[in-house]
Amino acid sequence: MPKIKKKGVSGNAKNFITRTQAVRKLQVSLPDFRRLCIFKGIYPREPRNKKKANKGSTQSTTFYYTKDIQYLLHEPVLQKFRDHKAFAKKLQKALGRGDFSDAKRLETTQKPVVRLDHIVKERYPTFTDALRDLDDALSMIHLFASLPTNENLPPATVVNCARLTKEWAHYVIRAGALRKSFLSIKGIYYQAEVGGGQEVLWLVPYSFAQDVPIDVDFRIMHTFVEFYTTLVGFALFRLYAIEGLVYPPRFDKDMDENAEAGERKDVEDLTIDTFTPAAASDQLPQPTPSQTTSTSTALFSGTTFYLSRETPREPLEFLLRSFGCKRIGWDAVLGAGAYTENSSDTSITHQIVDRPSTFPSPPPPSAAGGDNAPSTNAAATGRIPGRIYIQPQYVWDCINSGRLLPPGEYAPGALLPPHLSPWVKPGEGYDPTAALPDVEHNEEVEGSDNGMQEDLASDSEPEPEPVLPLPTTVTPIEGESSEEEEEEESEKNYQRELATEAAGAGLPAPSEQDMKKQKKKNKEKMSRQQREEEDQKEMKKIMMSRRKRKLYEKMLYSNAKKESEVEGLKRKRRRLEGERSKGKKGGKGSEEM
Amino acid sequence: MYPEIDPVYDSDDTDVEEANTIGNIPLEFYDEYPHIGYDINGKKLMRPAKGAALDALLDSIEVPKGWTGMTDRNTGGDLMLTQEELEMVRKIQMGEVPVDGYDPYAPMVEYFTSKTEVMPLSAAPEPKRRFIPSKHEAKRVMKIVKAIREGRIVPNKPKEEEPQFYDIWADDAPSRPDHIMNIPAPKLPPPTHDESYNPPAEYLPTKDEKKAWEELDPEDRDKDYLPRKYSALRLVPGYDGFVRERFERCLDLYLAPRVRRNKLNIDPESLLPKLPSPQELKPFPTTTATIYRGHEGKVRTLGIDPSGVWLATGGDDGTVRIWEVLTGREVWKVKLGEDESVNTVKWRPGREAGILAAAAGDDVYLIMPPIFDHETEAAGKEVLSVGWGYAEVVKKNSLKKEPPAKWSKPSDKLAEVGVAAIVTVRISVKHISWHRRGDYFATVSPEGQNRAVAIHQLSKHQSQSPFRKSKGIVQRVEFHPFRPILFVATQRYIRVYDLAKQELTKTLQPGSRWISSFDVHSGGDNLIVGSYDKRLLWHDLDLSTKPYRTLRYHQKAIRSVKYHQGGLPLFCSASDDGTVQVFHGKVFGDLMENALIVPLKVLRGHVVKQALGVLDVEWHPRECWLFSAGADGTARLWN
Repeated sequence: MPKIKKKGVSGNAKNFITRTQAVRKLQVSLPDFRRLCIFKGIYPREPRNKKKANKGSTQSTTFYYTKDIQYLLHEPVLQKFRDHKAFAKKLQKALGRGDFSDAKRLETTQKPVVRLDHIVKERYPTFTDALRDLDDALSMIHLFASLPTNENLPPATVVNCARLTKEWAHYVIRAGALRKSFLSIKGIYYQAEVGGGQEVLWLVPYSFAQDVPIDVDFRIMHTFVEFYTTLVGFALFRLYAIEGLVYPPRFDKDMDENAEAGERKDVEDLTIDTFTPAAASDQLPQPTPSQTTSTSTALFSGTTFYLSRETPREPLEFLLRSFGCKRIGWDAVLGAGAYTENSSDTSITHQIVDRPSTFPSPPPPSAAGGDNAPSTNAAATGRIPGRIYIQPQYVWDCINSGRLLPPGEYAPGALLPPHLSPWVKPGEGYDPTAALPDVEHNEEVEGSDNGMQEDLASDSEPEPEPVLPLPTTVTPIEGESSEEEEEEESEKNYQRELATEAAGAGLPAPSEQDMKKQKKKNKEKMSRQQREEEDQKEMKKIMMSRRKRKLYEKMLYSNAKKESEVEGLKRKRRRLEGERSKGKKGGKGSEEM
Repeated sequence: MYPEIDPVYDSDDTDVEEANTIGNIPLEFYDEYPHIGYDINGKKLMRPAKGAALDALLDSIEVPKGWTGMTDRNTGGDLMLTQEELEMVRKIQMGEVPVDGYDPYAPMVEYFTSKTEVMPLSAAPEPKRRFIPSKHEAKRVMKIVKAIREGRIVPNKPKEEEPQFYDIWADDAPSRPDHIMNIPAPKLPPPTHDESYNPPAEYLPTKDEKKAWEELDPEDRDKDYLPRKYSALRLVPGYDGFVRERFERCLDLYLAPRVRRNKLNIDPESLLPKLPSPQELKPFPTTTATIYRGHEGKVRTLGIDPSGVWLATGGDDGTVRIWEVLTGREVWKVKLGEDESVNTVKWRPGREAGILAAAAGDDVYLIMPPIFDHETEAAGKEVLSVGWGYAEVVKKNSLKKEPPAKWSKPSDKLAEVGVAAIVTVRISVKHISWHRRGDYFATVSPEGQNRAVAIHQLSKHQSQSPFRKSKGIVQRVEFHPFRPILFVATQRYIRVYDLAKQELTKTLQPGSRWISSFDVHSGGDNLIVGSYDKRLLWHDLDLSTKPYRTLRYHQKAIRSVKYHQGGLPLFCSASDDGTVQVFHGKVFGDLMENALIVPLKVLRGHVVKQALGVLDVEWHPRECWLFSAGADGTARLWN
């Protein structure tokens, strides 16, 4: 007989430990434990069997993996926490005594400093691992770079975060790593491919003052940011090293915050490309791929952009620079460091404008598309001929589609085409770019049309076809009809055909009523078949185990939900299109009148 | 108690001769001797003279004061307590301080005064060394000064800062093998079209959708934003939930328990079991062929006669009606109870005599409907009349115990219609089950406790109740198709009794709360059980006492289950949801092979009335025809 197992010494009971137990074991306070968990990336677990893990109790508790907590026992950071506690006591004592010089000496010499580099190495043994976890870190740092300071958020942190965001942007531009970007209502999403194929997606808020809710615990966020700044710092060091740069880079204080010294130099070396006028074809002149850079990263390499003062400079500059644009000018209001601040510079090929048009109607797309746009009203509109005026969305859409789009739709004041997320793969769910399947649409339309036609027919045409002789009057040809066991309907049809043949007419088209009947029958048949199939499925469900049945029903439910969502979107779109076409028709009608 | 010591010179009495020197040995050792020990000089100490017998008697009558009943070791006489000692014992008993003159609350005398002295204890002058600088200290200070001058010590030297960042992944460690307990945080999903600042118009919520979204609690929303459309980038405002969103992500990262979940990416159809198509398992009933209308109120029960031509039904209107199966024509009817419903009708097996047993209230009516030919009628009459004579004889002989049922002749009015005998059970009968030979039938009256089951013999007009004790409320009773075995279903269990040995052989545990009906397969080894808690359970008697399959598909309670007894592998269940579910249930002769169960058809047609649907079902004895009795007042034939 095998040895009888004792309860509570192995398995779930041993593998998991509640939070209270963990805190007791580590002999730290709860806030310290929380910080430690955030630093070390320790997260609660969901045991397979909670009752077993909780020693028979079913109370809901947080469980940690026992090994995780055991490793924490030897954590240097934990020791630092204890040192800090001792230090705080000493400091408090000195301050209480009024011994300020002593307090100052303690502060400078004995204050324990928590270093997180070993944790970074431990959590991310390889560089790829670190890059994989960079999404949250970057989003968080970009948020903190734009937050106001408070008692839990020292200015140093904000400055540090702002510096890191700049360094990151610099790297992305330099490496040409940016792939996609998306303007959302939350902020701007960017995706870069870093360190050999790792895709990093981060979200940058629009540059407004952030609304900080009062019930947000900044201590937690600050702990995260503390770790994330370390992580991003090390990642940047490595990335810079790969690029052959020195980290940390030195920014020129005299320059504007964002204009890096090196880049400035690059810009000056450039010679302006000669532009060939657009050929007669519809295709825009796409940048020719050179050996060093791929097409996508050199998308704007041959262009000179000018940003009007109402456009967001930072994201646009970041995007344009990452995609090869070396000459970006902007209005002096947007800061220093522009290629040109003169809006009438002749080398400018594209001007990004984001203001309502002052003239009555937007120019037709063909006019805006060509380089040699007619400049008849240039003076009146304040437009300079020889450049393309576009709205900011143009840049994003070009980047996401990987080519220069015809700028006609993006003219200032024009109704912009919808901006779509580049991460939704076509074929998954609803695709707004795909044309609606015509079948249903046609059917609907047809249905109504047919009805109309019928009405018309009954009203206007008294007898569209010669009246067919009744089957009773025709003597059926013996043999054939009796032998063939056909349905009544087909028999009648056959007789009718014979009759018409006898009358000397050609084969008549099957009458509309027959067609309808046939359709109806088909439909009935279909529905019956479907019903039978449904019944069979229902009955098969009887023989399933409860677990499988639940799973099956869940899957059906989720599939149906997804489908209904797609259907809802399609229906809405159909309605909208219908309304639009109606509006057009109505508009035309009114114009004619 | 020892005398107080007066501490004066010569008070030491340690050298005073001790009276007896024998040490720590029992005095009994000296019982045989005249002496009780020796003094310090080795001389014998003689035992003191014992009192006379009279003394002893007096002592026994009156216990002297201070008597302890012990012997003094030193003197060998009685050990008595003195007056003083007795007083002390009394004080201890009373919980008082045992010694006179002790004050437990005496004022405290301090060993040291709490007052500090102002004047020094010593008048010695301060030593000189207290006024001149220490040479040793000067030496040490000079050492430090020298070191500072030489630059070996730099005061207030800023700490050497380690580089904040360095190439931490320089060693190019191989990636750690994936551990099952290491669950990396899931990435946030990338944004979809509806998050765009300028989404396609179909993504914008309608008024209703917007209202519904706003009314939901923030936790219940499946998206934390409403799609909005802005015509230009400059019009896009800041997103007010940004900080909260990041904060919640932080909380998720360190507070949310992580579990590995396998996501099934399969076609749900592949989960359906592979069963033979019902088309291959024909024939089975599919449509309503005949509807038998006529009953007022519910049709409680029905029975098909062994020839398969006549259908008997009984209902809440207290009538038993007989119908021609194929035409649906009512052939004959009789009203049995005035206000009692007919709970069950069952034809006697065997074609030679057409006898119908119907139970209404406490009575079981044995009826010979006048629809058969003369031969059959005569045979039936004979079967029923044989018992009268026997009963008369027995009644004369034995008068010991009241039988569980009384056999009586019907009134003239009933006899005219065709009722041949009435068996009065005294407790309302809910179910009748015939033995295959047609001589015995069992009745079930669930309220009857130990008399719930009664077995009646047709040939002797005798009744007996086989169980002495009740073991729960009996629901149904069935005979085994060919062995002397009786199945008795209570609410929870089915007990299998061997009638030949008169013992319990097995108790089946279907696991349902309340059995409504059950049926035994014609092979005798399988059993289906229907229960009011919507379950159908298939028992294989050879396998276990637990069900082989438990099926739950009806929406309401199952009222009746039946096997086809005529050789077709069919069975069915009727439920209060108004449907009858027909199954293919094939039992294999091979013991290794389990029974094959395939659902074939759901028969819908009966109307649910007062939450009651189909109350009873019965298979045709040979064909694949099914009869069902509904609460809507009709019976139906399905084929």
